[in-house]
Amino acid sequence: MNEELDSQLSAMFDDELPEGECQLLARRLSRDDALKARWRRYAVIGAAVRTERGVRMDVRLETNLATRVSAAISAEPALEGNAVAENKVRAGGGLRWWQPVVGGAIAAGVAAMSVLWIRSEAPVGSDALVAQNAAPTATVISQSPAPSPSTYVVPTKVEPRTPMPAAELANYLFAHSEYSTPVTRRFPLSSLVSSESGTRAGGNESDGAVDAVPVEDVVENAKKAK
Amino acid sequence: MNADVSDLSLVRRVQRGDKGAFDALVLKYQHKVVKLVMRYVRNPAEAEDIAQDAFIKAYRALPQFRGDSAFYTWLYRIAINTAKNAVVSRDRSPVDFDLDLQNPDESYDMQGRLKDSETPEALTLTEEIRSTVNSAIDALPEDLRTAIVLRELEGLSYEEIADAMGCPVGTVRSRIFRAREAIDRRLREVFEGGLGRAEELG
Repeated sequence: MNEELDSQLSAMFDDELPEGECQLLARRLSRDDALKARWRRYAVIGAAVRTERGVRMDVRLETNLATRVSAAISAEPALEGNAVAENKVRAGGGLRWWQPVVGGAIAAGVAAMSVLWIRSEAPVGSDALVAQNAAPTATVISQSPAPSPSTYVVPTKVEPRTPMPAAELANYLFAHSEYSTPVTRRFPLSSLVSSESGTRAGGNESDGAVDAVPVEDVVENAKKAK
Repeated sequence: MNADVSDLSLVRRVQRGDKGAFDALVLKYQHKVVKLVMRYVRNPAEAEDIAQDAFIKAYRALPQFRGDSAFYTWLYRIAINTAKNAVVSRDRSPVDFDLDLQNPDESYDMQGRLKDSETPEALTLTEEIRSTVNSAIDALPEDLRTAIVLRELEGLSYEEIADAMGCPVGTVRSRIFRAREAIDRRLREVFEGGLGRAEELG
């Protein structure tokens, strides 16, 4: 037999084997009769040594008790189903309160990411943000004692992105509404409305953008076109 | 080293349906459980029956064992309750002892109790095993003998033995293993002849 394996078995018998090795050896021990016989003799050695203090070792146990218990256990149902089920119930009960918290946290994270993404998509803000982040670090380090006017960032004129044509947007919205619930359908609709109204309020209609049309009209036209 | 990790590895396997792992636990603790039960009943055969019941109860209760305490502590509690119930059901008065779960082998000598009920053959074989182990220990080199005695008799951990002997823990592990191997070689000879006779005892 492998000496290293026997050495591990001896350490495992004394609860002195690392956990990872223990798990591997426990698997082998439960199936290997030779290893189990050695394990049994290790137990006998310990019992015999301790007999020196006046405690007698009953030899018949070696042949009978373990065998009888093993025979009785073999008639019992395996614990797999019971143990796993109970552990799952216990673990599930313990973790159940986490689920809404985790769900809420994920929802909040998604919402925050959406807001950041929408802001970063804003035409002026994105370029300005890049300028503010990039330019000062390079110039301020080199001219830290007395910042010169050259360290200031002069925002360049940014051409606003061409917005999506209202008709195309309406088609998308209409198609989306067919696959979404009434509640979720409301969000893109309201964002569209706010976008349209924001465009009007900004007075940028003349910047090459498509003329704004009331969204209700757009949706209605899209339905008709379909 | 995390105590009870080997027992826990076996327990987890049993909980996943591996009955063979429970055999290893029985082999490891059967002597201690019987000695424990012998504090409540006088007949060794009856103690074996109670120990068997205790092991079966432990097996059935293993799904509820979460590892909050050491396995042997949990097993001992089951054995004590089983023994007490057996005594009560037979309308006997249990022997009143304060049980030290941490060191159950130290507080009671049952040699006198067994003398009256053991058969001569069983006593002879027991004595043969004991003398074989003791002579094998006596024949060990000093460092091996000290290591195995500190472990088996005093119940010290490898780290404590390393401190006592002034050597690394790995050396302690090696010494205990080599001591066990030397004793085991002698013991196998007795087992091959002796246990055959023990089975004939019926």
